[in-house]
Amino acid sequence: MSGAGSSMRRRPEAAVLILILSVVLVVVCLFPFAWMALSSIKKLPELFTVPPHWLPNEPTLANYWTVLFNSNIPRYFLNSCIIAGGATGVALILAVFAAYGFARFEFRGKPYLQTFVLVGQLLPTAAIIVPLFITLRTFHLVNTYWGLILVYTIITLPLSVWMLSSYMRSIPAELEEAATIDGASRLGVLFRITLPLALPGVVAVVVYSFVTCWNEFVFALVFAQDQSVKTLPIGLSEFSTEFNTDWGGVMAASMVMTVPVVLLFLAFQRLFVGGLTAGATKG
Amino acid sequence: MKGRVGFLFVLPAILVLLALIAYPIVYTVYLSAVDAHGNFTGKNYVNVLAPYVTRQAFFNLIYYVGGSIVFQVILGTLTAILLNLEFWGRSAVRSIALIPWVVPGIVAATTWAWMFHTEFGIINYMLAGAHVIPAPIGWLTNPATVMPTLIAINVWKLFPFVAIMVLAGLQAIPADLYEAAKVDGASFWAEVWHVTLPQVRPVLVAVTLLLVIWGLNGITLIYAITQGGPADLSLITPIQIYQLAFVSFQFNGAAALSVLFFIVAAIIVAVYIRVIPSNLGAAR
Repeated sequence: MSGAGSSMRRRPEAAVLILILSVVLVVVCLFPFAWMALSSIKKLPELFTVPPHWLPNEPTLANYWTVLFNSNIPRYFLNSCIIAGGATGVALILAVFAAYGFARFEFRGKPYLQTFVLVGQLLPTAAIIVPLFITLRTFHLVNTYWGLILVYTIITLPLSVWMLSSYMRSIPAELEEAATIDGASRLGVLFRITLPLALPGVVAVVVYSFVTCWNEFVFALVFAQDQSVKTLPIGLSEFSTEFNTDWGGVMAASMVMTVPVVLLFLAFQRLFVGGLTAGATKG
Repeated sequence: MKGRVGFLFVLPAILVLLALIAYPIVYTVYLSAVDAHGNFTGKNYVNVLAPYVTRQAFFNLIYYVGGSIVFQVILGTLTAILLNLEFWGRSAVRSIALIPWVVPGIVAATTWAWMFHTEFGIINYMLAGAHVIPAPIGWLTNPATVMPTLIAINVWKLFPFVAIMVLAGLQAIPADLYEAAKVDGASFWAEVWHVTLPQVRPVLVAVTLLLVIWGLNGITLIYAITQGGPADLSLITPIQIYQLAFVSFQFNGAAALSVLFFIVAAIIVAVYIRVIPSNLGAAR
């Protein structure tokens, strides 16, 4: 019900204007996605016709066949799942404890440590790829799942701590105090009371971390140069050179990469947007 | 609750971040100040600063980040205002408006590259068909259009983020402010200017600075679309660092450039930390 211009005094022209603007917005947001989908079911000659056809004359799944059976994309899909899942898990475990510590305790240096975590999120990643690469090489972690999982923790951990601690703060502390009086340990309280209550926040963190790692490009470019660990974004850019830019294949691979994250995101949208914006609007 | 317990809870995460962030930063500074044999030297900085391309990459970066942000904030705010009105299908439009932000950067890059294709791209076809342009334009190969085109793609990718953040800010505005404005007979735009914008200003400040950081980090779009070309016209500093290190294998030179880049970014982050904590709430 909030917002400027409530519907009560709206004139017909205003309604038309809103309709036009919403349609424009929807078209702008969806058009590239739609064009990707249409291009992915066109045959090569049809992609290279002037003028371009809006709809394919002979829709084909051949591009998907190529992507699924004649390319490394399935392997990269698996790698992406393992690496994004691993980085999400590692960040979540660390973040649950850290968020609880920040949300429920006072200790010396807390403001500095919180600022440090916040800065971690704002770090210009390009500025640290060189030393990270050398460090990972020293520990033989370049071109391994664990190497990528570790560097992705840089991206996921700060935001996970941030989102989860603001969520935990919104849970009343009285419940925990009651449990403490009943003799529950600190960890018992965290795992039996706080964490179950913070479940929506946990889901938001998991979705955000997973999608961020899934989409990440620069670290993957540097730290995954071997086929056994390359992720989908790298596979996609490779696909375009490998086949001298087979646009149909690229678009099919793009669909394979995009559809899971868009579905995941839309499914959890409410939860996730709530978690992300909570910190920005409070206070 | 006081004591050391809280610190112990926080410690593992802090140690991991120290190892992965603080240590590399220190190591970068060291690398930038030594030559290939480990002797201290200032040559890396001289070698990196001397060529014209470094300056060009830096100005391109400023142009790219600045140009993107202006349009991201304006379009994002307008979108948020639209999505805050009540109309049929609003929740569906809200979901759809998030899609550009959710689509992987590399996918956005390849799809837009295909749409902007000089010969077979749908954009040239539509514009020529509508007689907006007389002949197909090489959007991504023409020196005059390459940066504006990349900025447009970047704006498309991130204006939804501004929109959701501002929308959340709009929803937090107490309804009685609008009622008071209405009693005073304010028009829609007067309401936007005098009630809405002052109320969402903290969100806008926070979002803008986040956009600056993301912009400074924004390798993916440009690297995937033009790799910095044509003739370094869309080269930005982060890509230059990547190329120095992993194409030319000049790790020390790349480290020197990283340090300079880091200082510029750190100044911006310092401003962020001074201005933002009260706005971001969660910081304290």
